[in-house]
Amino acid sequence: MSAVSRRVAMIALAAAVVLGLIGATGDGQRATRVRPYPNRLPDGDGRAIAERSCLMCHSATLVTQQAKDSTAWARTVAQMVKWGTPLPAAEQDTLLRYLASHLGPRAARVKR
Amino acid sequence: MRGIDRRAFLRMLAGAAPAGLGLLLGPRALRAAGPAEMIERNEWPEHWETTLDALGRSWLTRNDRFFVRSHLPVPDVDPASYRLEITGLVGAPLSLTLDELKELPRIEMPCTFECAGNGRGLLSPPNTAGTQWARGAVGNARWGGAPLATLLRRAGVLPEGRHVWFEAADRAPHPDVPAFLRSIPIEKAMQDALLAYDMNGEALPKLHGAPLRAIVPGWYGMASTKWVTRVRVENQPSDNHFMARGYRYNRPGEDPTLAAPIEEMRIKSVVTWPRDGAKLPLAKFRAQGFAWAGSPGVKRVDVSSDGGTSWRPAGFMGETVPHAWRSWTTEIDVKSPRRLTLMARATDGNGRQQPVEASVNAGGYANNSIHRITIHVRG
Repeated sequence: MSAVSRRVAMIALAAAVVLGLIGATGDGQRATRVRPYPNRLPDGDGRAIAERSCLMCHSATLVTQQAKDSTAWARTVAQMVKWGTPLPAAEQDTLLRYLASHLGPRAARVKR
Repeated sequence: MRGIDRRAFLRMLAGAAPAGLGLLLGPRALRAAGPAEMIERNEWPEHWETTLDALGRSWLTRNDRFFVRSHLPVPDVDPASYRLEITGLVGAPLSLTLDELKELPRIEMPCTFECAGNGRGLLSPPNTAGTQWARGAVGNARWGGAPLATLLRRAGVLPEGRHVWFEAADRAPHPDVPAFLRSIPIEKAMQDALLAYDMNGEALPKLHGAPLRAIVPGWYGMASTKWVTRVRVENQPSDNHFMARGYRYNRPGEDPTLAAPIEEMRIKSVVTWPRDGAKLPLAKFRAQGFAWAGSPGVKRVDVSSDGGTSWRPAGFMGETVPHAWRSWTTEIDVKSPRRLTLMARATDGNGRQQPVEASVNAGGYANNSIHRITIHVRG
């Protein structure tokens, strides 16, 4: 293989790799995806509690996409406690304050 | 190769080669590159929504563009050792391998289903728990498998058997979280429910319930249980959380156990073209989309280009199949540059129309409000 043809082959292979990386997403799902919400809980007092009690069953995006008032968050947390989330009673108020203050009602509609 | 260490470059290529090979394998992989076509509402369990661009491309939604909604992590089910049990109030319980299931008479059935929470994220104020879907948690696929009625007849349902429970393989990481279990009335099970192992002519993907899932035509998606391992015939509906408390039409503050269950899909339509906010030249253009409903089917779609003041009927295209959505299209003629509000309103076979704003329930379910988009026509 000449130096030129070797270089052409290298460029073609590199292009294939780059384009392939765009397309491959694993588990047979080739579609490229966007993630409209952060997959990390916001910083603040109570974040460690939220990580410990929420993220054992689902990723952070299920939390960060919510926009609920304190009553709605209390309903959610009560449900999760019933379902066994490791949340000591002494930490519940901190968690509720954290969720309502960082992920409270907002005017914006759903992110596309 | 100068300026870069050739061995390092080759190592990088080798590391990324499996993904790159996807491109070299053929047209399917080639089509994959491009703008994002799925919206990841939740990373795991997977809640993936189809973009309207991808949805509008074809009457059948491709397997890798079909929305994904899993309540619990995707289970590993070994198809080689898999067995489907038919138990409960039957005369002769069955236990079938996947091969034995595939030897039964097979049917194919195009069927549209929509997540009951589709449109939840569009409610205002957005104060409901759960995934904040926009409009793309819906799809239409051709499902292949064995009619549930065939298996129930073979097992011999006893007279007191009134409900069919679908037990599945998925489990939550925490043992106190209830398994996801749904049941349907025996009449629906015998009428047209399917146990599917194919999706659009391919083996059912794992994300969509492999090796076997229920398909309950005309009902919201939660009824079509994935990863089914046991069909149990009982004399009453399941009391599982996702039957007794979840998926109910209770208003905020009401007891869900006393509210009507969510079952058949409400009449609904979506505009897949043009896109909301599109800038179009001053010329005639075609609007198009899909409309779907439960058992009454879609009777008509009307389109307004003046914000709902006047309506005119759209035409239907392509296949008309029970329980599959209908493609509609209409031509819009704009005489002068302006901003216009385009709306599509579907009517079902019983005369029920989509509302401008759907009534609110505590779970944010079944939002079938009319789709309204804004288009800018330029001179």
